[in-house]
Amino acid sequence: MVGVSIAAAVFVGLPVGTLLFLCRKGQIYENPVVFSVLNLLVNIIRSFPFLLLVVFLIPFTRMLIGTAIGTTAATVPLSIIAIAHYSRLVEQSLLDVPKGVMEAAIAMGASVRQVIFKFLYVEARSGLVLGLTTSIISFISYSTIMGVVGGGGIGDFAIRYGYQQFKTDLMMYMIIIMVILVQLIQFTGTTVSRMIDKR
Amino acid sequence: MITLHNISKSYSGYQAIQSVSLSIEKGEIHGIIGASGAGKSTLLRLMNLLESPDDGDVVVNHQMLTNLNSKQLRQARKSIGMIFQHFNLVANKTVYDNVAASLELAKFPKKGRRSRVEECLHFVGLESYMDKYPAQLSGGQKQRVAIARALANNPQVLLCDEPTSSLDPNTSAEILTVLQNINRSFGVTIVIVSHEMDVIKSICNRVTVMSEGQVYDTVSIQPRGIGMMNNSPKFFVDQLTKDGDVGHA
Repeated sequence: MVGVSIAAAVFVGLPVGTLLFLCRKGQIYENPVVFSVLNLLVNIIRSFPFLLLVVFLIPFTRMLIGTAIGTTAATVPLSIIAIAHYSRLVEQSLLDVPKGVMEAAIAMGASVRQVIFKFLYVEARSGLVLGLTTSIISFISYSTIMGVVGGGGIGDFAIRYGYQQFKTDLMMYMIIIMVILVQLIQFTGTTVSRMIDKR
Repeated sequence: MITLHNISKSYSGYQAIQSVSLSIEKGEIHGIIGASGAGKSTLLRLMNLLESPDDGDVVVNHQMLTNLNSKQLRQARKSIGMIFQHFNLVANKTVYDNVAASLELAKFPKKGRRSRVEECLHFVGLESYMDKYPAQLSGGQKQRVAIARALANNPQVLLCDEPTSSLDPNTSAEILTVLQNINRSFGVTIVIVSHEMDVIKSICNRVTVMSEGQVYDTVSIQPRGIGMMNNSPKFFVDQLTKDGDVGHA
């Protein structure tokens, strides 16, 4: 579940966040309509309490993959929140790139594609990695809710066997595993981002 | 080399450039000076269409830039170098990669890239800094990297937007010397925007004075030469105390 949502964040969230950035006022693709629509969409998705988003999306999930129950079905709402979540963080990281860097690229004759891949992403890479780290940790947290639609996962396990069957020690173990997992992810993300930051 | 014909540019109601015509000859070092807000930077940025004019034509190197489609414009920009007040290097790329980036954009053959980058860095005296990142360089060194980057594709024209305005006087003199060498060795036409009279007087042959978005006058001058400023602490103290009777604290 989390793996799919990470893929969705990278392959859809990154382009959406980039588009959000490029359509802003004063940027190369300045486009108030596209910007407002995307901006509103991202805000709306992110303002749903996640549990409600899962329930709200049930008809959509069913339409997409035939069922709204089970682990595969659970990836749909998770991917959607992943895209909205990461695209916002991408937009923020790109906003930190000095405008002059893009300007220099354009003055050298770079195409929009080259500006993005050879300049923007290179300059914003540590922020993009940190953002993804934050996102992954949120996805893990979101995924624990997926038990309600039969998504399974560690959160579901902890609730069902730990809480509902009064095996408090089991629940505590699950929490400890989660804490360690999150620590590891954050540590890796921070280390990588520091390593690639030469600014 | 560069001809602006009745150029106008406004930003949300504010008229930054009002019907300016200007002609810059091949091989000259042309200065543009004026107060803040006089439109000198905008005028420079119109020369490679970083700003597109509302009205009028821009001709650079016999090409009417204002008539080109975006692909042709990108091609034309590869022979118009530009350097900036804040250098605008990619901080996450090494000195080598910063210079190589402009060759890459121009599809310069891969085989010759390394030697071309080395050649350009040698010209600005930074060949031993290839593997450093911009954060490890001084302001003057960063500007020299930016110059190497702008030179890599053998431009016909070099546009300089306040190239020395965030540098100390000695470093400014170094940068101006590099610019003058580029003009002399390769015949590159140079346009320098600056608010510093010393900079303009030291190397320009012709100077356009801007005021309120219009050309006030264009004059030919004899470049006075680049004076090295005395940077010794004693000189500073002498300068500070020579007119007054201020004693030592």
